[in-house]
Amino acid sequence: MQDLGKIHQIIIDLGFYKMTFNVEVIVMTWIIILGLLFFGYICASKNKKTPHLFQVLGELIVTKLYELTEDAMGKKLARKYSPLIVALFMFLLMCNWIGMIPHMGEPTKDLNTPLSLGLMGFAISHYVGIKTKGFKAYIKEYFEPMFFMMPLNLIGELAKIVSISFRLFGNIMGGSIIIMVVSYLTYSIILPPFLNAFFGIFVGAIQAFVFTMLTIVYISSQAK
Amino acid sequence: MELDVQTWLKIAAFSGGGLAIGFGAIGAAIGEGHTAAKANHAISRNPEMAGDVFKSMLVGQAVAESAAIFSLVIALILLFSEFSATSFIMVWAVFSAGLCTGLGAIGSGIGAGYPAGAACEGMVRQPEMSNRLTTNMLIGSAVCQTPSVFALVVSFILIYTDYSTKPMWPMWAAVLGAGLSAGLSAIGAGIGSGLVAQSSCEGISRQPKATAIATNSMLLGQAITQTTAIYGLLISFILLFKNYPASDAIAPAMALLGAGLCMGIGGIGPGIGEGITAQSAVTWIVRNRESAGEITRTMLVGMAVSESTGIYSMVIALILLFVV
Repeated sequence: MQDLGKIHQIIIDLGFYKMTFNVEVIVMTWIIILGLLFFGYICASKNKKTPHLFQVLGELIVTKLYELTEDAMGKKLARKYSPLIVALFMFLLMCNWIGMIPHMGEPTKDLNTPLSLGLMGFAISHYVGIKTKGFKAYIKEYFEPMFFMMPLNLIGELAKIVSISFRLFGNIMGGSIIIMVVSYLTYSIILPPFLNAFFGIFVGAIQAFVFTMLTIVYISSQAK
Repeated sequence: MELDVQTWLKIAAFSGGGLAIGFGAIGAAIGEGHTAAKANHAISRNPEMAGDVFKSMLVGQAVAESAAIFSLVIALILLFSEFSATSFIMVWAVFSAGLCTGLGAIGSGIGAGYPAGAACEGMVRQPEMSNRLTTNMLIGSAVCQTPSVFALVVSFILIYTDYSTKPMWPMWAAVLGAGLSAGLSAIGAGIGSGLVAQSSCEGISRQPKATAIATNSMLLGQAITQTTAIYGLLISFILLFKNYPASDAIAPAMALLGAGLCMGIGGIGPGIGEGITAQSAVTWIVRNRESAGEITRTMLVGMAVSESTGIYSMVIALILLFVV
């Protein structure tokens, strides 16, 4: 109970700046990355006409998410950005699910992970916007409908980063705090597996999907 | 009569616990009543489905009740925990925690009742879609709980933070403001996302072929509807984790309280408004799948405009926090 909100950190003092590393998050993220690479290797190797189990699973994930991307972005952009979307979804899904294994923590519980992924989506969507519309038309959009609306349009854009990253962070951190507090109060009898199933599997999958959907929508709304 | 800190803490914990479950009971009761009403309607149309409708009514009501159960948990913690008062701020924190979960549970409770009702009616209209409808209803009502989960998280942080190093003035106002911000802003978001889920369940029962797109657009609409609740959570976090200089002046404390109130109340309207937008958008996306892209874009722009008042509230709250 006492470790509510405590984070294991290594702080390296460079003299002019203190670098802070959240050890658990970094370790967990690497475990997930290696796991996904391994999963990708099994899915893509030894492919045959009659697919094996992992080939089916991999093809299912890729085609479903590709269809979703194509619906929103159109064929040209979807071919370019669907690998990003598939990778983002699988990474987030594993991030949200890894907390169910004892002694493992979700990397998405730390605001740094969702915030950097949100910033990534933001940067990509604006790159797409500038590339498809041209710089002039892109800037002009901020002065719509009236020129004095510019600051509010700007804040509205920046608020997107806040909302997308805090949505994921709040849900996952909320789930893990609830599991921790309720397990503590009930001495870990009966309830924890159900809480894990709900907040881990169910909410984790929904929030991973919502984050991916919103990234798709942000990119496609800039392209139009 | 002079009261010591421990006595004040007991007073705050009891009144906070009472407010938590008192407010928390409002939403879930309304939502569950709505579900039961729709279930009655459904059974009268097709009495042969009575068993299935009854089951799905109970499942839906159980999900709608989870917000009230969150309040109950907080109320029980407040009533039975032994708080050691390291600082007088704890008195305000305990009271604010109760207020926060209580207010936060209102919206989610009402909201989660809508999809459950629509699922009961839909089941009667399209008996083959029963399973898909139940799944969609569960996803929709689970996402409706998000704002109340945010409020619950803020309450836990309020209760279990160590305030011994913080200055009494103006921290007491920050603590109260944090609870109000997360609690009040959750009301609109909860109701709004319930409306979205309702139209999605209706859509599936009317157009079984549009199941996938109904679920996807529901999740998108709900996610954006809850944006103002996320702003409320953000303001609460800033209020709680910012370091304030100690001062006896009354103005800084009121600015912090004002920031919380401003974000909390300002978040109610946009939540409901965006919910109405997305509700209608989901309905028409399901009926006219060819124009789904166009409708989604209009929905997103409309929601952004409706949300702008929530963004104004956030800007004012941030100004109160950092400038004034």
